[in-house]
Amino acid sequence: MGIVLSNIIAIYRRELQSYFVSPLAYAIAAVFWFLSGLFFVLILMGPDGILAAVAAVDLQGQQFGIPVPPIDVPYEFMRAFLDRMGWLLLFVLPILSMGLYAEERKRGTLELLATSPVTNWAVAVGKLLGVLTFFITMVVPLLGLEAIALSASNPPAPISVPLLGHLALILLAAAILSLGMFISSLTDSTILAAILTFAVILLLLFLDLLAKNINGPFGEALGHISLLKHYNNLIQGIFDTSSLVLFASYIILGIFLTAQSIDALRFQRQ
Amino acid sequence: MIEVEHLSKMYGSTPAITDVTFSVEKGEILGFLGPNGAGKTTTMRILTGYLPATSGTARIAGFDVHENSLAVRQRIGYLPETPPLYPEMTVEGFLHFVARIKGVPAGDRSAKVKAAMERCHLQDKRHVIIRKLSKGYRQRVGIAQAIVHDPPAIVLDEPTVGLDPRQIIEVRNLIKSLAGTHTIILSTHILPEVSMTCSRVTIINRGKVVATDTPENLLTQLTVGSGYELEIEGEASFAKQILHNVPGVNLVESITASALPSHTPIQDGRVYLRVISQPGTEPGKEIAAALLRTGFGLYEMRRISATLEDVFLQLTTEEKTADSTEIAGEAA
Repeated sequence: MGIVLSNIIAIYRRELQSYFVSPLAYAIAAVFWFLSGLFFVLILMGPDGILAAVAAVDLQGQQFGIPVPPIDVPYEFMRAFLDRMGWLLLFVLPILSMGLYAEERKRGTLELLATSPVTNWAVAVGKLLGVLTFFITMVVPLLGLEAIALSASNPPAPISVPLLGHLALILLAAAILSLGMFISSLTDSTILAAILTFAVILLLLFLDLLAKNINGPFGEALGHISLLKHYNNLIQGIFDTSSLVLFASYIILGIFLTAQSIDALRFQRQ
Repeated sequence: MIEVEHLSKMYGSTPAITDVTFSVEKGEILGFLGPNGAGKTTTMRILTGYLPATSGTARIAGFDVHENSLAVRQRIGYLPETPPLYPEMTVEGFLHFVARIKGVPAGDRSAKVKAAMERCHLQDKRHVIIRKLSKGYRQRVGIAQAIVHDPPAIVLDEPTVGLDPRQIIEVRNLIKSLAGTHTIILSTHILPEVSMTCSRVTIINRGKVVATDTPENLLTQLTVGSGYELEIEGEASFAKQILHNVPGVNLVESITASALPSHTPIQDGRVYLRVISQPGTEPGKEIAAALLRTGFGLYEMRRISATLEDVFLQLTTEEKTADSTEIAGEAA
């Protein structure tokens, strides 16, 4: 067990290190920060932003003398922001995950890993943790922005809902990265891996919409496995164990398929 | 140390290797020789546990490569055809990573990495990023990663391919220095490499082992023994007849103009012949005497000795035997 852990840590550290010296990863981080910052500002203070909308409702209420129901601005803001972030992941994560295995296959380093006393599982887990850690470091600066905005709230905003929201964001990212890792293990072309991952995530995110248009038990079942539905529940503060189970299932499925695909690769290798 | 028995591997319905059997004793260097596509890489991949065999067994240090894959992988160092390197890592960082995944205990890691770098003369490049290294240095890092955990068995797939002559000599010396304490299998299609580094040779062709022996024994078994190349003046068929009757001469053949070294000036009336002597005889004196006695002008007489290349060609080229008999018949 100690050896397995040591192997996972070795793979994890190498993977993480490779992101921090990769110009591509920095470019992705920069684009991510720019877009998320833009969303942040637009949602909060843009012409159609929350503050403007609330002010308009308030004004209407005063003009017509109707009492306006109170609006929880920090809550509404975080929900809208995390919702956009979920969509942003669709574009960012395939690029982070595309090289996980495709790059190893191309360089021949998969042969090193496969002939080392490391199981495929350990490699997959280490890699997933590595890329997930890099993603989390991309999210951390956003917490600063949010802290500044939420600290201006009066009465003080509760911390639990944003916390749950960010946990959901990370879980969603982990599920997507896990599937992306599997897709990356199928090919030695990084571009192909990115495009396929994008397509698969798009499909998974749209499952919810699809499910709503299908009646009966099949549509219902489809709705249950939709990543977006469970993500939306969590960012609204609806905590449900089934959501956690679903995300964990996606993550484990990705790791399992990756390990199987690497095993199969050795049998068919020409 | 390494025992391979009746190993076969099919890719679909195409056999890559068929019934390959050989063994390597502890401390030996075995040269694995064969033309491209003969099944060398397949065999090595099976030995390292990268590919499963279709049938047959391979054991390293007593462990079956398939059943005890993890135990085997701990005891083997492997350099694939393209060195498996992470270009963004430094030499030292990469070797540390490999030592770790090969299961070297934390306390030994620095010492082993240092030892491997010293062996491969990489100390002054330890902080250099692998991407910036030349091909020769990358190959050395590749060898260093194969030996960093001090494995009892080392498998090297074409370790000198793509290197310049000086680097080749360095790599060969490095490999030779590893013998004794390590058991090494080395694949190559470069023949001098084998005679220079290996204590035994296994020749493989079209997936089958055609010979396993020491380089010296392979040479003495060779029917295309050593002999002489002659440049004489006179009639070719008569000369052949004369030479064929000299005791100790096995075979006389004409050398066509295209087979001559390019700088040889071809002159009218000159005949170029190759005389192959019987193994263990040196009929040089008799050949010269016979030619002069019958009035031929002898302009050049040069000793030729069979190389491993001849052995290799003889064993891997099927048409070769047909050629030889034809020439023998012509000469008679």
